[in-house]
Amino acid sequence: MALDKLVKFFSSLRLTVVCLALALVLVFWGTMAQVDLGLYKAQNEFFRSFFIYWQPNGASRKIPVFPGGYLVGGVLLINLVTAHLTRLSFTRKKAGIWMVHAGLILLLLGQLLTDMLSRETVLHLREGQAKNYSESDRQVELAVIDTTDPKLDTVVSIPQGLLARQKEIQNPALPFTVRVNTFYPNSKVKDREADSVQPPAATQGIGPRALVTELPRETDTNKRDTPSAVVEVLTPHGSLGTWLLSEYVEPPQGFALDQHTYKLALRLRRHYKPYSIQLLKFQHDVYAGTDIPKNFSSRVLLQRPDKGEKREVLIYMNNPLRYAGETYYQASLDSDDHGTVLQVVRNPSWLAPYLACALVGAGLVVQFMSHLIGFTLKRRNA
Amino acid sequence: MTLRPAGRGLLASVLLAAGAGCGQNDVQVYRVAKESPEVAATQSAPVAMAAAGQPAAGDPSPELQWKTPAGWEEVPPGEMRVASFRVPGKGGKTADVSVIPLPGMAGGDLGNVNRWRGQVGLAPVTADELPKLAQKVEIAGQAGQLYDQAGSNPSSGDKTRILAAITRHADTAWFFKMTGDDELVAQQKPAFIGFLKSLKFNAAALPELPPSHPPIGGTMPGVSELPPSHPPIGGGAMPGVPALVAGPKPNWQVPAGWQEIAGGQFLVAKFAVGGKDNAQAFVNVSMSAGMGGGLLANVNRWRGQLGLAPLTETDLAAQTRTLALPNGSATVVEMSGTDARSGQPTRLLGAIVPHGSDTWFYKLMGPEQLVQGQKDAFDKFVQSVKYAD
Repeated sequence: MALDKLVKFFSSLRLTVVCLALALVLVFWGTMAQVDLGLYKAQNEFFRSFFIYWQPNGASRKIPVFPGGYLVGGVLLINLVTAHLTRLSFTRKKAGIWMVHAGLILLLLGQLLTDMLSRETVLHLREGQAKNYSESDRQVELAVIDTTDPKLDTVVSIPQGLLARQKEIQNPALPFTVRVNTFYPNSKVKDREADSVQPPAATQGIGPRALVTELPRETDTNKRDTPSAVVEVLTPHGSLGTWLLSEYVEPPQGFALDQHTYKLALRLRRHYKPYSIQLLKFQHDVYAGTDIPKNFSSRVLLQRPDKGEKREVLIYMNNPLRYAGETYYQASLDSDDHGTVLQVVRNPSWLAPYLACALVGAGLVVQFMSHLIGFTLKRRNA
Repeated sequence: MTLRPAGRGLLASVLLAAGAGCGQNDVQVYRVAKESPEVAATQSAPVAMAAAGQPAAGDPSPELQWKTPAGWEEVPPGEMRVASFRVPGKGGKTADVSVIPLPGMAGGDLGNVNRWRGQVGLAPVTADELPKLAQKVEIAGQAGQLYDQAGSNPSSGDKTRILAAITRHADTAWFFKMTGDDELVAQQKPAFIGFLKSLKFNAAALPELPPSHPPIGGTMPGVSELPPSHPPIGGGAMPGVPALVAGPKPNWQVPAGWQEIAGGQFLVAKFAVGGKDNAQAFVNVSMSAGMGGGLLANVNRWRGQLGLAPLTETDLAAQTRTLALPNGSATVVEMSGTDARSGQPTRLLGAIVPHGSDTWFYKLMGPEQLVQGQKDAFDKFVQSVKYAD
């Protein structure tokens, strides 16, 4: 039967060896590729992908040349599970092996979950400043903000992935369509001189006075792209004009329509929280008489009005704040020592690798002990 | 050899996890509170906000002083504001007064006036009609325009009046605005005009665009290529070298009338030079390792700031002069044009001094007459510099 053949293929030990060999090559190749691509891009292209693609010079299509991390890991997981379910019977003698395998499956699954569910963002605070949101450090969003209400802003957040597709975006919360005319994944915005022959970037806001140029994507680990977009607002009565949106342009630009006021901003993607964190004091200690850093710490005030929570926390290296499923690590600082950068990590499956390792460890102990005990009993009886 | 139920369960959980990971690319709609006073009161100047002229932490407004009119209550300034007041009236009616600095021209008067007119349900005006609406007022000792528009709030239908005044000071457009009940605001108009007159800019903290602002209008040597909100990336690694500030300050003789003020992160020093009628020019001193981009690129960068077309290498020689220094010489360039940020006629004197492996930049920029009058002082200042090494 075809299914039997399939199960046989996926449970074969040869497949395990092939997958491990491919993983070996993949890790080596992916690590070397970081030299040219940078950490982030290399991770995406080699490990967070099903295939590694190669684009010959001048060709428009990319050719898959090697399995990527998802494919190798996925096949390995299926291999392990099918082998386990078809070959191993559950007996007391094999309890240790079961535990070891369950641990490995948990490790692979946990990694998959981490990859899909975890989120790393950044919280940049100046002393005295409070924020109830953290920001993605690599993804931007187009925020269309209805500021009409005196108390609440209605924010329609359009993620970078949609902007990059450069299409028309409609949302029930907006009485107009946002059309992304051009999206620049990395760009530079400059002043446009009055007598410039180059066409202005856009017709509204800062657009007529600005020029935007596309830049190659950033590969340096310590830098990131600065996207810009030219968007057009289309109402049922016609276009309201085009706006140049970029992190270079501040503050938000806007327009009024049907007795509502709207602001447009291309900003780092925000993740709001039901609590706020205020930086009270940032401390940068050095060893006496030197500039060598000894310690960095941030004293913050954590406030959650709906639970009446208000407390001070000291965050320093290797002593993060864990709160509401998120971990705040001391990550960096402002050059004037009056601001802090906290890395905010949300990883619902953070326990998985710990449990997996414990399970594998316990499995090995059980297996070893059962052999040892069996051996000593046999010797005694001999 | 078939899959047991446990295998199906595992497969289902993987698919579930995959499903949970989706949704990253969906449009999200949410409602957030505008910055609450409690949060805003403690809001200081993150790098991004500093671009809007927001004051530094702990100080309500270092660049501006005022006399609060009787009956006005100062409230914590919210987002973008450096000062905020509540003016109570009869029957629980209130008016709101805001002071907001924005870098550059901030859209020009016409766009702003039409925006305010829209907020009280009035039709927009054309550029020709605008001067008729402007009322001359004194703002911080300078001439400014006051616009008074009354109508009804399009969303609530309440009779509303907006008094708004604009003045431009040191590359920043300052907006003073009173919004509220028509009658109350009309009644408070003299107090508002009095408030505008009482304003005083502090010379010590004039907000030019902070150096961390992305270079709209030319780059400075060594200026960050990243936008202001760019967070340091690569968390975990603590930079051991704290600041990007250019090396130690050389010794120099500061000419009479020059006042050293807080410079930016990338400036070695900055001086304010006062003239007649509150005119002000600024001297920026910066240093860049190596050639700093070369003579032509820097001259063209300065020309760009004044809206002038770039020069070619052949034109360059005709436009520069050499200034003898105790050790070596400086290349000095002079130009006049229109400041791209303020729209004002501006003159620029620049001196580029190669020293060792570094290049030093001196730039005097301000109103034509004032800069012309300071020419000798500028030359003497550049000649007086004794570098630290």
